[in-house]
Amino acid sequence: MMYRLFLPLLLMLGTTLLWGGSNASAEGQGPGVAPITTEQKAEEHVPKPLTVLLKDFFRTTGIYALIHPEEGVKNGNGEAMSRFAQSWGRVIMFIVVFILFYLAIVKKFEPLLLLPIGFGGLLANIPVANMTGPEGFLGIIYNMGIANEFFPLLIFMGVGAMTDFGPLLSNPKTALLGAAAQFGIFGSLVGAAALSQYTGLVDFTLRQCASISIIGGADGPTSIFIASALSPELLGAIAVAAYSYMALVPVIQPPIMRALTTEEERRIVMPRLRKVAKREKLIFPLLIVMLSAMLLPESTPLIGAFAFGNFAKESGVVDRLSHEMQNSLINIVTIFLGLGVGSKLQADKFLVLDTMGILIIGLVAFAAGTAAGVLLAKLMNLFSKEPINPLIGAAGVSAVPMAARVANRVGAEARPGNVLLMHAMGPNVAGVIGSAVAAGVLLSIFN
Amino acid sequence: MEVHLVSESIKFMILGMGIVFIFLYILVLLMRLQAWIIARYFPERFSVSGERAASSVEEERARVAAIVAAVAEYRRSHGKRG
Repeated sequence: MMYRLFLPLLLMLGTTLLWGGSNASAEGQGPGVAPITTEQKAEEHVPKPLTVLLKDFFRTTGIYALIHPEEGVKNGNGEAMSRFAQSWGRVIMFIVVFILFYLAIVKKFEPLLLLPIGFGGLLANIPVANMTGPEGFLGIIYNMGIANEFFPLLIFMGVGAMTDFGPLLSNPKTALLGAAAQFGIFGSLVGAAALSQYTGLVDFTLRQCASISIIGGADGPTSIFIASALSPELLGAIAVAAYSYMALVPVIQPPIMRALTTEEERRIVMPRLRKVAKREKLIFPLLIVMLSAMLLPESTPLIGAFAFGNFAKESGVVDRLSHEMQNSLINIVTIFLGLGVGSKLQADKFLVLDTMGILIIGLVAFAAGTAAGVLLAKLMNLFSKEPINPLIGAAGVSAVPMAARVANRVGAEARPGNVLLMHAMGPNVAGVIGSAVAAGVLLSIFN
Repeated sequence: MEVHLVSESIKFMILGMGIVFIFLYILVLLMRLQAWIIARYFPERFSVSGERAASSVEEERARVAAIVAAVAEYRRSHGKRG
């Protein structure tokens, strides 16, 4: 019985030895390399009973790696992982990515990003395979376009090609609301610094504080751009927080908007927008590029890519290019961006107290940005000749076009039939420019 | 030397909000200036021709719709399938 079991193994061993031997004799005149390989091959094929083979195979399975964490096992980037991160940490991360899938599929929260991010996180936590290392599938994607801040720029190009600046051009002063909402970034920067300094909960450096606070800009690509420039170790948590909160805009913003405005203010009807000449729209992207080039060259990668996309759209002569930026290109980059960000959801990096701190600061940043926008809109309403509904100030956080839709909805609740959508799009697109400028300021401080 | 995180970050906030507001305020002025220049020196011609083009496109659409409706009606009343 045992003999029969061993027979195939012995045969295999025998043929391998013969094969190795004939190889060695064929390359016999070579400079002594062949005999070593023969020896290695002979060593690899020590006869083993099937039970041992099965046991050895079991040791290479994921189940074994999960239930038998060992000291000194390295992740894809060669850093040692704690035993917790290898076992329970991975299980918890599997649960976290299933929550992301739930949010994306059932709740429809930014599915285009949360789904690829979640799947990237799932793959990143698979034991043994080490897909996040420089040779791994996810590692290659990460190094290709996220570590060097390339993908967020391509996304910005596509967003530029989709953006219509008409509402902003027809009521330019609403751009200031897009500036006020950036208080979410800088206010939470102070908050994050205070949290690190006065509590023992988290210990962020100034660079880390800056890249966390950019979540308040409510702009996913900008957050990734800044995080990978200033603190790549926090990228996963920052991107997940930014996209989750962007998806939660309809939940987070309305209570703040209602708390800060009176019923009377919410009922304000705004005058019709004037018609914008096509030439104004054509010149606008050149205007923002030149302005950022003169004032803040650090922001020109973001604003330049954005303006290029918009210029291609408004020129009307390169529809093929603009179509490509808005569709195939942005879709492909979104897949890579999601998987690459997901690769940073490894248990040993994500399951730390810092992540909790990032989620809390991010939420505060969002709320602060919304509040600042609404308050400035109230102030402008006092001094402006034309009435301004303060609700449109909340759209100053970027999150295009979700924030504008929320302003529109809350306005329609107060006065049915009052359409604020186009009025809110002005601060909304100005918010994109504003957060790119804020990002440029942060980069210029630290570089 | 111990860096005082909070005072540093407050300085960043003043700088950052200042630059963001200056940037967008200049942008507001430039937008007004270009709207004024375009309205004054490169006026209506552009948008008027655009409107005309749009209305002629609409007329074309209406005409096509009328033809399609007439053909459909003709076919229906003559019992043909098309």
